[in-house]
Amino acid sequence: MNSYRVILASTALVAALIAPLVTGQYWMSLITQVYIYGLLALSVDLLLGHAGLYSLCQASFFAVAAYTTAILQVRYGYPTIVSAPAGLVAGTLLAGLYGCAVRTRGVYFILITIALGYIIWGAFYRWASFTGGDNGITNVPPPTVLGVSIVSQTAYYYFVLGVVLLCALGYRILVRSPFGLSLRGIKGSESRMQSLGYRTTMHLYVAFIISGAIASLAGVLYVYYNRFINPVAASFQISVEVSLMAIVGGSGTIVGPFIGAGIFLGVRNWVSSFFEMHTAVMGIVFIATVLWAPGGIVGFIERWRTGGRKVKGQP
Amino acid sequence: MHSSILQAINGISFAALLFLLASGFTITFGLMRVVNMAHGAYYLVGGYIGLTITRYTGSFALGVLGGGLAVIPLGYLIDRFLVSRTGENHLAQVLLTVGIAFVLGDVALHIWGGDNLKVPTPIELRGAIELPGGIIYPTYRFVLILFGIVVGLSLWLLYRKTQIGAVVRAGVDDREIVSAIGINIDWLFVLVSALASFLAGMAGVVGGAFLTLYPGAEWEILIYALVVVIFGGLGSLEGAMIGALIVGLLDAYGRWLLPEFSYFVLFAPMAILLLFRPRGIFGREG
Repeated sequence: MNSYRVILASTALVAALIAPLVTGQYWMSLITQVYIYGLLALSVDLLLGHAGLYSLCQASFFAVAAYTTAILQVRYGYPTIVSAPAGLVAGTLLAGLYGCAVRTRGVYFILITIALGYIIWGAFYRWASFTGGDNGITNVPPPTVLGVSIVSQTAYYYFVLGVVLLCALGYRILVRSPFGLSLRGIKGSESRMQSLGYRTTMHLYVAFIISGAIASLAGVLYVYYNRFINPVAASFQISVEVSLMAIVGGSGTIVGPFIGAGIFLGVRNWVSSFFEMHTAVMGIVFIATVLWAPGGIVGFIERWRTGGRKVKGQP
Repeated sequence: MHSSILQAINGISFAALLFLLASGFTITFGLMRVVNMAHGAYYLVGGYIGLTITRYTGSFALGVLGGGLAVIPLGYLIDRFLVSRTGENHLAQVLLTVGIAFVLGDVALHIWGGDNLKVPTPIELRGAIELPGGIIYPTYRFVLILFGIVVGLSLWLLYRKTQIGAVVRAGVDDREIVSAIGINIDWLFVLVSALASFLAGMAGVVGGAFLTLYPGAEWEILIYALVVVIFGGLGSLEGAMIGALIVGLLDAYGRWLLPEFSYFVLFAPMAILLLFRPRGIFGREG
């Protein structure tokens, strides 16, 4: 890590720490959202940027974790200390089940994860007697950890920031480990990794489950932030949007997905405040990203800094 | 017994609609290696345009034809100027075409509004007919089955028995060799993509007459079409036929027997099939 990055990272950290003091409710709420969606985008990018798999069912793990937590807490009255871990476990178990998709590659993997994602959406939407259908689960109480209830928005902001930082640290260790290296090896050339004796499908399966666990964590953070959950959280649109965040920011990096989430949510909130057709604008953002900035913002800056010699993390 | 036969007919008529959409999707993939997620939007836009034509001219047949034809230039422009720039990068294609579908869906929402709109059907197709065995069934959905069979049969003949079909099949197998022997593959792409757009737009009008058209319908129908091609195998016309039948029947029986879990009834067999045949029933390796 060179000095340039240290300065950048510490500036970002200081900015994140003082943000609640200098901005209002609106911005704090938006930034909390950026952290949560950024975490979800990071889970997409573990597969996309490192393993070369494009999963479009991340919203399923996110929503299953959120729904499990919400249902346990609201309907059965379990405390946060039980329902939040239960949500994490439920989302991760689903990832273990859906992990069978890693038997396929390329376009088949994409199509299958889309279809798998729709199962969860359909279940939440149609199984109304248990999930509340279109209305979802409302009145999720604020989280209570060790007898302390995190009621204020500022406190929750710092809580999410802490969790996200810990996650990013763990993610950094993971992608720099031999396991992370073998994932990038598979992305580069799976047949070569196989001939070196790696069980590539097993590696991808484990990566899929870790990715599902990160998405589940984002889901638990989301349900306590939003205080309600409905089937939209499991929708295909969410899965596509978070993958776009990862690409806009810069695939294959840690800050990229968070930058992407910031840009995406920022643009959407800004555009929807004055222009009715914001879905079309988001669609144009999709098209523009694919055509002109496939390496994302981080790739763009890298290219600029290195004088166009290398482009990092092209999807 | 009576209702199980009724559900079977329901399933087959839905299969006929799904086939119209899935056949285009699967052939475009087979030949051009393009995953076009905007296909659902073609369905919706075609349906809306057909609806408007039917309202103005009073002719359902013109609406079906016009809805299909209107999508051809749209699909051509999208293919020519946007999708072609992604090469064979499926991830980029998916994101790009999802973006296109968002734009088309939002524009359609602004033109036709957010209500459920039903394409008016001609008098002759309203009402019900009595099938052998005393089953009363809506005429329209019965005619849809016949229509699906006619389209399916003509596509199959075109694909298997004509020279154009032979060239397309050769292109699915090996594009480079086809262009090397002097066949203009770009022209072939335009032709096939136009056919796929036409079928999708037509499906929109035909489907809009009994499923209605509304914002979000493009994604619902696209997912069904995806499951069809996953069952049948990407790039296979026969696969799309079999897949459409499986999906149509599973969906009809699922909705009838287990309404809250109908998605499981549809998707669980798909997941199990994938464990044993990751490329679908008619899919090929490579």
